[in-house]
Amino acid sequence: MKRKILALILAVVMVVGMTACSSNKTNTKDSGKTGTTDTKETSNKKITIWAWDESFNIVAANEAKALYQKDHPDVQVDVVTMAQDDIVAKLNTSLSSGSTEGLPDIVLVEDYKIQGYLTAYPDQFYDLSSIAKPSDFASYKTGVSVVDGKLYGIPFDSGVAATFYRKDLIEKAGYTTKDMENLTWEKYIEIGKAVKAKTGVDMCTLDPSDVGQIRMMLQSAGSWYTDANGKVDIANNQALKDAIKVYKQLVDAGITKQVSDWDQFVGAFNNGDVASVVTGCWIAPSIKKAADQSGKWAVAAFPKMAANDKSVNASSIGGAGWYVLKNVGNAETAADFLKNTFASNADLMNTLADKITLVSTLNAAANQPNYTKASDFFSGQKIFGDLAKWTGEVPSVNYGLNTYAIEDIMTEAVQAIVTNGANIDSTLKDFQVQIEAAVQQ
Amino acid sequence: MGSNNKVRKMNPKLNRKAWGFVLPSIVLIIAFVFYPMIQAFITSLQTGMGNNLTFNGVANYKRLLTDSTFQKALFNTFIYLIIQVPIMILLALVISTMLNDKKLKFRGFFRTAIFMPCITSLVAYSIIFKSLFANDGLVNVLLMKLHIISDPVLWLTHPIWAKALIIIAITWRWTGYNMVFYLAGLQGIDDSVYEAADIDGANAYQKFKSITLPLLKPIILFTTINSTIGTLQLFDETVNITNGGPANATVTISQYIYNLLFKYTPNFGYAAAVSYVIVVLIVILSFIQLKVGGDKNE
Amino acid sequence: MSKKRKIMNAIKYIVLGLLSFLSIFPFFWMIVAATNRSVDVTRGTLIPGNYFMNNVKTLLASDLNYLLAFRNSIIIAVVTTAVAMIVSSAAGYAFEVYKTSTREKVFNFILLSMMVPFAALMVPLFRLFSKFNSMGALKIIGLNSPGAVIIISVATAFLIFFFRQNTKTFPKELIEASRIDGLGEFNIFLKVYMPTMKSTYAAALVVTFMSSWNSYLWPLIALQSPEKRTLPLVLSAFGSSYTPDYGMMMTAVVIATLPTAIIFFLMQKQFVAGMTGSVKG
Repeated sequence: MKRKILALILAVVMVVGMTACSSNKTNTKDSGKTGTTDTKETSNKKITIWAWDESFNIVAANEAKALYQKDHPDVQVDVVTMAQDDIVAKLNTSLSSGSTEGLPDIVLVEDYKIQGYLTAYPDQFYDLSSIAKPSDFASYKTGVSVVDGKLYGIPFDSGVAATFYRKDLIEKAGYTTKDMENLTWEKYIEIGKAVKAKTGVDMCTLDPSDVGQIRMMLQSAGSWYTDANGKVDIANNQALKDAIKVYKQLVDAGITKQVSDWDQFVGAFNNGDVASVVTGCWIAPSIKKAADQSGKWAVAAFPKMAANDKSVNASSIGGAGWYVLKNVGNAETAADFLKNTFASNADLMNTLADKITLVSTLNAAANQPNYTKASDFFSGQKIFGDLAKWTGEVPSVNYGLNTYAIEDIMTEAVQAIVTNGANIDSTLKDFQVQIEAAVQQ
Repeated sequence: MGSNNKVRKMNPKLNRKAWGFVLPSIVLIIAFVFYPMIQAFITSLQTGMGNNLTFNGVANYKRLLTDSTFQKALFNTFIYLIIQVPIMILLALVISTMLNDKKLKFRGFFRTAIFMPCITSLVAYSIIFKSLFANDGLVNVLLMKLHIISDPVLWLTHPIWAKALIIIAITWRWTGYNMVFYLAGLQGIDDSVYEAADIDGANAYQKFKSITLPLLKPIILFTTINSTIGTLQLFDETVNITNGGPANATVTISQYIYNLLFKYTPNFGYAAAVSYVIVVLIVILSFIQLKVGGDKNE
Repeated sequence: MSKKRKIMNAIKYIVLGLLSFLSIFPFFWMIVAATNRSVDVTRGTLIPGNYFMNNVKTLLASDLNYLLAFRNSIIIAVVTTAVAMIVSSAAGYAFEVYKTSTREKVFNFILLSMMVPFAALMVPLFRLFSKFNSMGALKIIGLNSPGAVIIISVATAFLIFFFRQNTKTFPKELIEASRIDGLGEFNIFLKVYMPTMKSTYAAALVVTFMSSWNSYLWPLIALQSPEKRTLPLVLSAFGSSYTPDYGMMMTAVVIATLPTAIIFFLMQKQFVAGMTGSVKG
């Protein structure tokens, strides 16, 4: 008993000691800071940036910071890593109560989400029209950041979709890279069956809770869950019906491996369990993680839907942009930061192409050396050139305010049709009503 | 101690001091529970996006009747409640009865081991469960090696198995916690009661039924209400393990509220209305449990 | 009889052994993962590796300030636990010792607060706390301060109920005797009740510390600045990575679990004893 008490006391002493030590550290650091601010009166500018994913967005933000501080040594830039869901939760609570306490000056927001913010909290975002023009960026990207002709965000990464595939497995199944050009989903499924028969490997992953594949097909046909005016467009949406049919064929073909989250998804192709990945180009760094598969991969355009004549070989998924919060305090410095970095700096994009395989949506980046280089991992293909070309072809659609709310319900419709064989027309009619009820305000 | 229940007249000075003891707690609970609760109720009568709220009466409550996702969430929550709470309570009772044997070897070890899950954080436990129950995870591999199943169980992507997994996970995390309460209660029961039953030739089941259960009744009631409240507010497990999937098959009411507030374009009014449904449910269920379980003897 | 007993006993040991194994196995898995490289973790290895120190190094070198978060968590959990012990036990004590019908009503009212789901309170609470920031002294419990996280879990219905239940085992004669000795009411609580109820306090301490240490949603919303973050928030940021390092993550998780584990093991006996008190009467 006494021993235990002694141990407890020791533990407490250790903790307190540690606490004291580290608080000393912060104190000295703090006083150091105040010291510098005192000497240079105008130099107390500090901006904070929030973003998620320390192997991608955070790397980019830190590069931008280093670049900006070369010319502006007096500005302190804090880059903060945070889970995307956490950022959203914090923005919602803070903006809704009008409190800017602790909020960042610059925040990364996903394309699907930003319209909701700009509509709900129009006075909280800083107009960036003076530092960039929509025409500087890939045309499909800027739609989400423009409200009443004003540009509120700097587009960042391209979410351009592509078919990443295992060249070696396709060839074993008797196909060549030639067959992957101008790919249709029908052809894709045919190849998938051959791959499965010859090699035993599945063609792609399938996550029943994530209908991203359908979402991409929709955009490839210039369509969305909502129409151009933001009205729910489910029951009579031909592109949606075609997409669900393709999806059902894909599932029925028995060439998919079921996963339930991001880690299993990445694990599937890193372990060589699937022969292709059809998704946004931001997946490239994750594919490259399996160094032993170097030289076995190649990239083709997004498959179009043969049955739908509006569908093209290009689509997009994910992607985000940088936004400035107006009332936090340093909006002008923040805007200036973006102006000199993500809004204009092709050099920065060049560095990031190499570091994080960033496919930039800044038009000026296309001519940078790293964007014209061949990639060893992808069998010597000049992937950036291809991805940039497809980026230019992505049909622009209005994502509206409710993409995620609608999609959470749509997964049920898709499951009913695909798994339980429900009639597509009547199911979508039912869900039109349900979804309209769910997104009313 | 009949006088214990009788309320005595207290001298005013002592009474004032007594209020001093409870005042901090009362102030804090009013400020941080009841005041926001009233605020939330007012919000539930309003509608609009973000901050642009306007009053619209009971429209949010009417909307609940036609909201299929809400109904699904309600259904799921009830499934967890009806299946998981009884399993866990029974399991905890059985374990604590076994552990109550003073002659049992390794008693301390068993008790500690079974309580251990309670010290884990949700992040840790959900990561672990996700990988153990993945399609090609350890659980499936083992079950297949033992020839219990021939194809992997799709724990995370099949609507029914995903619910089962959530139930397994919560049971893992909380059985030990309830067990501790029962163990504590059992220690208060005199051994002689069991010895007398032994002499009468009662078997283990009879002893459990006619001694243990009645004597533990108040504690069982307390833990049942507690677990009911916990289950109706279930959030972390479904978010972290299945994220409500596949296709909302595991989504709970709390997660739906969270989605309305944070995942979708925020609709505070409607979210507040949904949360009042939980409050009403908890009050009703606790009341029923008290009526059924607590036949008053005082 | 004795043969049947033996079989029953054997079954008992098998069942308990199996349940113990199921309960502990995930911990084993977690520790194994912390000692391996990320790739081996995803491949589902079950053999402890020798990569732990490397994982620790990666963890400390990461952008997310793990040590700072650890310090914040310790401060918040220790202060919350300490203050909660005093505030809630005083209330639980008084509700039992100074019973009046008004106070009984207040007590039932407090119990009702257990039934309110936190999700319902989140947004109104946030608005309330953002007001504190401009209210002079209340700033210490304003948004973005550890105070905001502490104050909210200091008085909980569960804890007050728990202390009240335990107080039923406290011999009332002691109070009368102390009064005759001339001790004031507050001193009776401080010098007689508190020392007598050590194991109750121990059990409450374990429960409060654990829930404070693991709390996620409110700190997430209330603590905006990165230097204020607690461990669960940092773990969640790790978990959101698109190219996660599992070895490092599980190392972070193992270290984050240590304090609750240590407290539990040190206070296990008192914890069980304290729990016993709570179910009497």
